[in-house]
Amino acid sequence: MEATRQIYWNVGHGVVIPMYILAGAAFGYLAWGFWQRLPIWRQGKPLDRWDRYDERVKRMLCEVFSQVKIFRVTDGGVFHALFFWSFLTLFVGTLLVMFQADFFTPLLQLNLLSGEFYKAFSLVLDIAGGLAIVMLAGLFIRRFVVQPRGLEIVRDDYIVLQLLFAILVTGFLIEGARMAATELQQNPELARFSPGGLLIGQLFTTMTPGTLLVTHKILWWVHFALVLGFFCAIPYTKLRHIFTTSVNAFLAPFEAKGYIATINMEDDTVEQFGAAAITDLTWKDIFDADACTSCKRCQDRCPAYATDKPLSPMKIVHQIGELAEGNPAGNLIETVSQDALWACTTCRACQDICPADIEHVNKILEMRRSLTLMDGAFPGDEVRTAINNIEVNGNPFGLAYASRADWAEGLDVKVMAQDADVDILYFAGCFASFDKRNQAVARNFITICNAAGIKVGILGKEEKCCGEPPRKLGNEYLYQMTANENIEVIKGYNVKKIVTTCPHCFNTLARDYQDLGFDVPVEHYSTYLKALLDGDRLKLTPEPFNFTYHDSCYIGRYMDIIDQPRAILAQAGGAIIEMAQNGYDSFCCSAGGGRIIAEEKLGSKISEARIKMATDTGAPLLVSNCPFCLTMFEDGIKTGGAEGQIRVRDLAEIVAERIEL
Amino acid sequence: MKLLVCIKQVPDMESRFKPDAAGVWFAETDLAFRMNEYDEYAVEQAVQLREKLGDGCELTVLSIGPDRVVEAIKKALAMGCDNAAHIQDPAASGKDPWQIASIIAAYAKDKGFDLIFTGMQSQDRGSAQVGVTVAELLGIASTSTIVGFDYDNGTITAKRELEGGIKGVVKMKTPALVTCQLGLNIPRYPTLPNIMKAKKKEIAAIPVADLLNADSLATTTSFHPPAKKGGGIVLEGDVADQVDKLIAILKDKTAVLR
Repeated sequence: MEATRQIYWNVGHGVVIPMYILAGAAFGYLAWGFWQRLPIWRQGKPLDRWDRYDERVKRMLCEVFSQVKIFRVTDGGVFHALFFWSFLTLFVGTLLVMFQADFFTPLLQLNLLSGEFYKAFSLVLDIAGGLAIVMLAGLFIRRFVVQPRGLEIVRDDYIVLQLLFAILVTGFLIEGARMAATELQQNPELARFSPGGLLIGQLFTTMTPGTLLVTHKILWWVHFALVLGFFCAIPYTKLRHIFTTSVNAFLAPFEAKGYIATINMEDDTVEQFGAAAITDLTWKDIFDADACTSCKRCQDRCPAYATDKPLSPMKIVHQIGELAEGNPAGNLIETVSQDALWACTTCRACQDICPADIEHVNKILEMRRSLTLMDGAFPGDEVRTAINNIEVNGNPFGLAYASRADWAEGLDVKVMAQDADVDILYFAGCFASFDKRNQAVARNFITICNAAGIKVGILGKEEKCCGEPPRKLGNEYLYQMTANENIEVIKGYNVKKIVTTCPHCFNTLARDYQDLGFDVPVEHYSTYLKALLDGDRLKLTPEPFNFTYHDSCYIGRYMDIIDQPRAILAQAGGAIIEMAQNGYDSFCCSAGGGRIIAEEKLGSKISEARIKMATDTGAPLLVSNCPFCLTMFEDGIKTGGAEGQIRVRDLAEIVAERIEL
Repeated sequence: MKLLVCIKQVPDMESRFKPDAAGVWFAETDLAFRMNEYDEYAVEQAVQLREKLGDGCELTVLSIGPDRVVEAIKKALAMGCDNAAHIQDPAASGKDPWQIASIIAAYAKDKGFDLIFTGMQSQDRGSAQVGVTVAELLGIASTSTIVGFDYDNGTITAKRELEGGIKGVVKMKTPALVTCQLGLNIPRYPTLPNIMKAKKKEIAAIPVADLLNADSLATTTSFHPPAKKGGGIVLEGDVADQVDKLIAILKDKTAVLR
């Protein structure tokens, strides 16, 4: 007996026309649903996300079909990915049946669905159906029974889960009914390739043939109606993410991580800087709200949220969506709240983990820009003072700019104004220049360079704050002022390469300054020292020590420098004990986003939370490579009561102690 | 209503001061300049009143000094002053409070200002005389070191800081002058649109010779850091430790043990 089945068995070919009409109507309803959302998205400002079309399409297909971003968090992610693939398999299988019945058979007299292929087809679809039900059950239990912290239950969750479940179950019921009538007795050899139908079919064996046919017909229409319901529900429920999240993988930015548009300060026709209303955001910012699936992964990783501050990146995305839809004239900043906006450390953990490619950080920065540039607002008086200090003395401490090079006294360093014949320009930054703890790092870095025979120059009193803290607090004006002064000074010397010990200076000089016409190569000492070691210009005498390593946000997540500092420390004799939150999953020290100059007044201290993670490893030493991190951890160790338990040291200090003489 | 606020640009107090070549004032190399702190309170208060009174009101900012003081003037304009007068004087730092007050009074005398705001004193010279002397020269009422200010229909109610933390309340009719003290307000941070608008506001440049009509009454004869005295060291720890430390110091710093 041939291995195939009669498509439209029992329901008859008479259903084809009404079926296509209804399906067409359902797709029309779907399209109309999204069409209605167009004006909501279009309230935002223009933004070109249609360039590099091929790359965008490729990225979208890769992200969607591989489910790679979903998989990064196994809780929920595994269920979703397996469900997605099995449901996709069922969808493709159904399309194949459709093409077979309505195109191949009538037009080509060709039956693909026969023989060995049909057996494999049946088996694969039955397994996919079974797997989809199990995964759906897993998702159901996770949401309604386990209820992970922060996972909300909304109306859509009931609708979507029940709808999908009903589609899968009725699918198996139809198959069972059909097989009970046509396959179980007649072709048991073939029935073995439909294990689901074989099992469900047993339910129908006791029915009279007449009842069975009617039951099958009813089930077919119910299943069909449910599937139409599924398509209709897409734009109106969380199911919209099938479209919006996929499209967001297409729309995601190609700019370097951390890129934010540089404001044109010469344009005096601009009346609003930053975002105070929905219409000040871009259309993509509003679209992002529709792409959000409320998976709360951003919230789970947010250091501010974890320490009881009034910030949840997910909530901000939701608030933007709600305003755009329900109250476009509403006050965006009041809705989100200043406290939430100022709490962000721009650590990028939210954006990095988001499976929907939502751009959280720049939304916050645009709102901060409005607060700062339009209202002259600050998170606190200490920030007002620090900003004034940067304006006057070029550093947040308010110390005399003329004393900026004092840390280098007695070291083999050239001040560029006196002698610019150097291999590298060391852009020390404010902390290495003025903060006592970090001056030690700067001095050690010079020691290392001297040992490697590198001629180092510094700008000394010509150097100013790179502008990172002001920029991240929204003060684009001060950022551009200090950045342009630095650029002008550096361009005056024939600088081949800039090295920084500060990840914030590094990101700002290497990436942000590009928009201001700066193109000198910039490197962080993590990779610079690694290259010196690899090139045998620098040799270390390893000395064993145990440590744990903190990935600074602006080195790891922003610059993808994860392995090099670890490799240096291994070469120095270090045995690493990793924290659970390492690499791209690292947990901020609290000082990014300009928070370095702000007091942490709300919730508990982020630095203490991070120190707790470090002490939990049992390592007696925490190594970092950022002046802000070092400062916060020295503080967190003291205030968190971890003195004697753990010490924090900088990469340069570890290396300098082990230079082979 | 016409308002005037007088500001001075001063070196940031964290700067390293060195005497100038003549040894009568500080050299300007390596100094960072900013608006005198007390003048910022004066500008903020003037701008608040300007905003309260609306369009019928005009607020002028005045500063005396070399070209660098334009930076401070621009900040005051960005904070909300309407127009500015820059009294050009490269030698302003050598003038005594009497001369400075005379210059301001000469500028203001035929302008009909209803209310003049100044800082309580400058952070560098710190004489605290200029404001009140201007009032005297113009023959108008004045009150100093105000920490509270209210204006209603020609009457000023000012809260003054007195000795020992005591506060006094003064009522004056305009025209009048007030000098502003820390605690009066928190000076605003200029917004970007206002910074941009300020770039277009007029700054009248007036040579100091046009206004200067007084000789100095007091001359600065010397500017120098306090004489260095040897620092003391307190040795701590138990006696044995202290003895060890003392011996180390004697060996290191003196010849007595050699």
